This record gives sequence, C-alpha cells and structure tokens, in this order.
Amino acid sequence: MTVFKAFLKVLNQCKGTVILYSVILIVFGALNMQTNDNSTNFVASRPDVLVINHDEEKGITKELISYLKKNTEFIKVEDSEEARNDALFYRDVNYIVYIPRDYRADVLAGKNPEIEIKSTGDYQSYYAQLLLERYMKTTRNYVDICRAEDGSVDETALLEQVKSTLKKETAVETTSKLDADKLGRLSRYFNFMNYGLLAGAIFTICMVLASFNKEVIRRRILISSMKRRTHNRLLLLSNALFAVFLWAAYTVIGFILCGTEFFATKQGIAYMANSFVFMFCAVTIAFLLANLIQNKEALNGIINVIALGSCFLCGAFVPVEYLPDGVLAAAHILPSYWYIQNNETVKTIETWNFETVKPLLVNMGVILAFSVAFIILANLLSGRKRENA
Amino acid sequence: MFVHNFQYMFKVLMRNRMLIFWTFAFPLILGTFFNMAFSNIESSEKFDVIDIAVVDNEEFNNNVNLKNALAALGDSKSKEQMFDIQYVTEAKAKKLLEEDKIAGYLLFQGEKQKIVVAESGINETIFKSVVEEITQTVDVVNAVAQNEIKQQMEEGNLQGMDAATAEKIGREVLERVQGQEVSIKNISRKNLSYTMIEFYTLIAMTCLYGGIIGMTAMNQNLANMSSNGKRVAMTPSNKGTVVLSSVCAGYVIQLIGIVLLFLYTIFIIKVDYGKELPFIVLLALVGCLAGLSMGIAIGALVKAGEGAKIGIIIAVTMLGCFLSGMMGITMKYVIDKNVPLVNQLNPAGMITDGFYSLYYYGAGSRYLFDVISLLIFSAVLLLLSFGNLRRVKYDSI
Repeated sequence: MTVFKAFLKVLNQCKGTVILYSVILIVFGALNMQTNDNSTNFVASRPDVLVINHDEEKGITKELISYLKKNTEFIKVEDSEEARNDALFYRDVNYIVYIPRDYRADVLAGKNPEIEIKSTGDYQSYYAQLLLERYMKTTRNYVDICRAEDGSVDETALLEQVKSTLKKETAVETTSKLDADKLGRLSRYFNFMNYGLLAGAIFTICMVLASFNKEVIRRRILISSMKRRTHNRLLLLSNALFAVFLWAAYTVIGFILCGTEFFATKQGIAYMANSFVFMFCAVTIAFLLANLIQNKEALNGIINVIALGSCFLCGAFVPVEYLPDGVLAAAHILPSYWYIQNNETVKTIETWNFETVKPLLVNMGVILAFSVAFIILANLLSGRKRENA
Repeated sequence: MFVHNFQYMFKVLMRNRMLIFWTFAFPLILGTFFNMAFSNIESSEKFDVIDIAVVDNEEFNNNVNLKNALAALGDSKSKEQMFDIQYVTEAKAKKLLEEDKIAGYLLFQGEKQKIVVAESGINETIFKSVVEEITQTVDVVNAVAQNEIKQQMEEGNLQGMDAATAEKIGREVLERVQGQEVSIKNISRKNLSYTMIEFYTLIAMTCLYGGIIGMTAMNQNLANMSSNGKRVAMTPSNKGTVVLSSVCAGYVIQLIGIVLLFLYTIFIIKVDYGKELPFIVLLALVGCLAGLSMGIAIGALVKAGEGAKIGIIIAVTMLGCFLSGMMGITMKYVIDKNVPLVNQLNPAGMITDGFYSLYYYGAGSRYLFDVISLLIFSAVLLLLSFGNLRRVKYDSI
C-alpha cells in the first residue's frame, strides 16, 4: 500500500499532462464523428462547388446551375475574389465555375462561349469538370436540332431534350456489406489512440519511475525493510493498473464517440484486443526509457519525439494510404506500425475465420515480440546499474 | 557593459541544453515528421487513372459504341486516358474487386448494364458517371441522327431511305457529337499546395517557442527568479542596459534557430515560401520579435515559478498553432472564415497567415496587415513589460 500511495502521489503531479493527452484524443474523436450518415448502398460523391453567375438566371443558364446543384454540393462563400481563392486553397470548394455574361444568348446563337473555372486539380474537381463539360456538350449538340427555319431556337424543347438525356443513369451494386464509413471512423479513432497511449502512458510511467529512481530515494528504498522484489512487484502492479485504467477509459470513450453498436461485435473485440496488446508494449517502452534516462526534462523531450514520430510515420495522424512507401517501409521497426496495420485490417474483414484473423494474430505477435525485447533490454540495463550502485 | 553582458548571456543561454533542444532541434524533428507524413498527400489527391475491369462477355462485345468509347478512355497512349481497363471474366472481376485491385467492374446482362463496386467513393462515382456519359452520348447521337434523316427526307433528298445511307448519317453524327468541343479555361493560381500551411505553422511555433529563450534571459535579471537576478539588482549598473543586452542575446539566439529551420526547410524539405526573399526575412524577424516579446511579458508580468512560465508559453503557443492549422489545416480556414478576430489577435495566426499570403498572393496588403499586427502585438507587450519592470523595487527578498 505504501508503494501504491507513493505511486498515486507522483501520478497526481502528472495529471495535467495525462488530462491534456486525453482531451486531445476526445477532441479528435468528436471531430471524427461528423461524417455523413451513409449506409451500405451506393452514394455518389458530391464535390464542393461554387458557381458565380454573371448571366441572367434563365433558361439554359438556370438549367446548368440546377444540374450542378443536383450532382454537387453548393458552398456559400463570401462575395469577394479573395474569399473564393482562400476557399479553393483550403479545399472548402473543389471547383469554381464562372458563368459569363450572355452565356445563354451565345449558346442559343450557336456560339461556343468560354466558361472560366478554378480547380484544385483533385479527383473531386475532376468529377465536377466532367459534369460541367457534359452539360455544355449536350446543350451544344442539341441546339442545332431545335433551331427553327428562321434561326431562332425553341429553348423549352431544347431543355426537355437535354434533361431527358442527362437523366439516363446506370445501375450500381455494392458488394461490401460492411458499414465502411462507421468502421472507418472507429478505426481512425483507434489509430489516433496510438498517440494517447504512447504519450500519456509512457510519460506518466517514466515520471513515476524516474521519481523512484532518484539517487536519494533509491538508497532509502534499498535500506528499507521491504524486500526489493516485493517493492518492484508492487511498483510494476501499480503501473500496470494505471495503464489498464487508461486503456479502458480510452476504449470506452472511443466506442461512445464513434459507434456504440460495435462494442460487442467481432470488430469491436478485435480493436480492443489489439489496443490492449499495444498498451502492454507501451508500458514496456516506458520501463526501458526509465531505465535508460534519469533526467526528467530529457525524458520529456525523448517521449515527445518517440510518440510524435511513431504517430506521423506509422499512419496515426495521416491515413496510411497517403504515406509514401519509403516511410512505411522504415516504419516497420516501430511497434506502432503493426498496431495500426491491425486496425486497418480489422475494418476490411468481412468473414471471420482463422484464415482472415491470422494476419491480426501475426501482427499482435510482432508487437508482443517487441515488448519482450524491451523488457530484456530494460532488465539488462537495470541489472548493470544495480551493480554500480 | 552592454557587450559584456550580451556575451555572457549568450553563453549562458546556449549552454542550456533543454532550451536549445526545444527551440532548435524540436522544430527540425517535427518538420522532418511533417515532411515524411505529408509529402504524398497532395500527389495522391491529384487525378490519376482509375483501375477498372469490364466483364468480357457476348453482350459487351455486341455493344460496339460502348466498347469503342471505353477503349478510347483506356488507351494508355492518349493524354485523355482515364481508366486502366482489364477485360476479364465475371469470376475474375469479382476476385479483383475483393482484392481491392479495381474500383469496380462493368457487367452486361442482356440489354442492361450494371456497375459493381465494393463501396461508395469518388473513384466509383467517376466510373459510374463516365459509363452514364457514354450511354447519354448514344442517346444524343440517336436523337440528332433521327432529326437529320427527317430533315433530309423533308427536303426530298432521300426517297426510300436505305440502311446504308442511314448508317452513314449515323456515323457522321457520331463523329460530330463526339468531336463536339466546349471551351473551359482554368484560371486558378498554380500555387495551391495546402500542406505548406503545416510548415508555416512550424515557423510560427518556433518563433513563439523562442519566447522561452526571452523568458529565461529575463529570469536571469529578475531578483525574485534567480540568484543571478539578485546580484544584478544589487549592481550599480544601469538596469535598462542589462535587461536590453540580455534580451538582445535571446533574440540573436532565436534568429540563429529560425535561420537553421529556414535552411533546413528550404534546401532539404523543399518548402515553398514564395519568391520574395526580403519579405520572408522581414516576416521572420518580426515573428521572432513577437515570440520574444511574449516571453518577456510572461517573464515580467506573471508571478510564478520558471516551470509554470514555460508551461504558459508552451500552452499559448500550442493553442495558437492549433488555431492556425498545425493539427489540421482546415482549422485555420474555419477560424478565418467564421471568427476572423481570433486569428487576427493570435500571433501564430498572424505569422502563418503572413507566410500564406506571401506564398499565395505575393507581398500585398494582407501580408502588410499581418506584419503590422505582429509589430503592434510586440510593442504592446514590450511596453507593458518594461512599464512593469521599471517600478519593481525590493526592500528585502
């Protein structure tokens, strides 16, 4: 109890940092929640588009706007060119269409008016351009057949033709029965938990151990009546208890924020098991670090670098699919890589049998192997230190 | 006196290893992480060919229009290439989809066609949309060809239309419809690389972390913070000179740090700061001054231990960087759009926005506004701190 009390005392000093990491995690989880609510049916992507209309909103022009509105998301931006440029830069809009003055009149006269656009050049803007081009081409193709002998165009008939053509759709079937959106959210949360577990757990445990390892304190403990082994066991137990508590809290928060319905499912259990194994690994890293370095300030710097580095290189902050291959190859030497690979795998498994679960078990095995290596290293180091004492 | 104290303060600060780690090394390390993590994001967002499959059955082979159109879109030699198409059996297509090798496949069942995808997404949407476009084009061709035939008949050109002429008209119309050109002109600026913001916030963070240097330098001169401060308070030397030389030493160290970061980001990470070097330098100088003033102000105005002061500087810096987009670039935009005042008062926001304006718009009014805001921010804090320092007197301590 004495050891546990002392442990709690030091823990109390670190509560600020632990709260900070937890708040970051919760904010991330909460921001993560706001994705649209789609099911397993096919839902077409809707690029964010801004239309600046300098023409009168009538006839062809009106129909163009409503065609774009039907297939894209219209974004409201302040009415200034700078605000529009900013919106494009920050990808608030993917595509800006400037409909020129007299667009309608020019098309009806058989001319080919030029439309100016601004584009981010990504997939979304590419799709927006497909839509715009299609509308422009279709109207131009139909304009001649709707022209009467005197050269005037029957606009109503033209629009009817255009509409009936653009209405033609192709059936789509989705094969995946998983709710990819929601599972993806949960998976992202667990990926991000990598940071909370590494930074939070390692920081606290290191601080506690560093306090117990302080020269004066260590000597006092050594001459106390308590057996060294009992003392070590109690200390280990307290740390493990704290780590399990942190893991449980983070897991529960995750399920609350990202989908309670997964809690008792196979996926949910897989996420929990995976993060539990990883938490164990984090504890062993903390033990190793505390044995390596005694200076608290230096520890703080090193932990930050390890936690941020693992998160950036393994895909906790930036989704794995965006990371360059070279970075991912280098990330193999970090336990976080295997942890995050597992999270990514869980969300794609559709049928659960030994074959599909095997990669998960292999990755967890790798994490455990890392942990064992860290424990052995830590023991070697602390053994040598005791001899020096 | 000035040179003497400057020299020693410079040495004292440079030998503080934790200080040098957080202000020199940490930004470099973080920059390296940013570079590794973000270098691929934008290129993977740029449109590239989409992998699809087509089930190669009899119905597909009979649909000449669609077959030709798809072949054109999948031509790897063409600039317009959109898809990388594999013509396979249905079983193979299913397998490819399961293995995530393709976005989806096209399947003909009798007259109908169907697209099979694994999930919703932009690639799948483009695939669907293009197949629709092909059928819509067929629709247009039919309508235009019919009209053509009708017109020619009315004009009496074609008595007893035979199949060959109808087909000829059809081919002509098809060519005309497919060759129909529309003009769309892209007028967007070329420098749209939004991950640059991450590196600008990194500069902002380094400028503001420099506040820790300024604060440490101040603590050396404050009688309530260090023994050195007590000694300084007792000397007959001019306090203004002592404080000013300490602060200048801090500023010089800050500048060394920021120069290192600039060299690293420009030559190794290849961050684009725009073309106007003098303005970049000016902004960096002013940014560092803002960080320094913040450090001085927290050192002089806050009555707390050194740890707490460092904590405040780190907290203010991190909050500022968060609001200006370090943990998610959208945050800067959301704040700028909805509560512009927040980032106009936030020093990290001013620095980030200054670099952003230089990069995106060039040196203009927005850049100037940011620089002037930073100068005002620094001046206010410095005046407050020095006003407060002047009055400090200790009877006993």
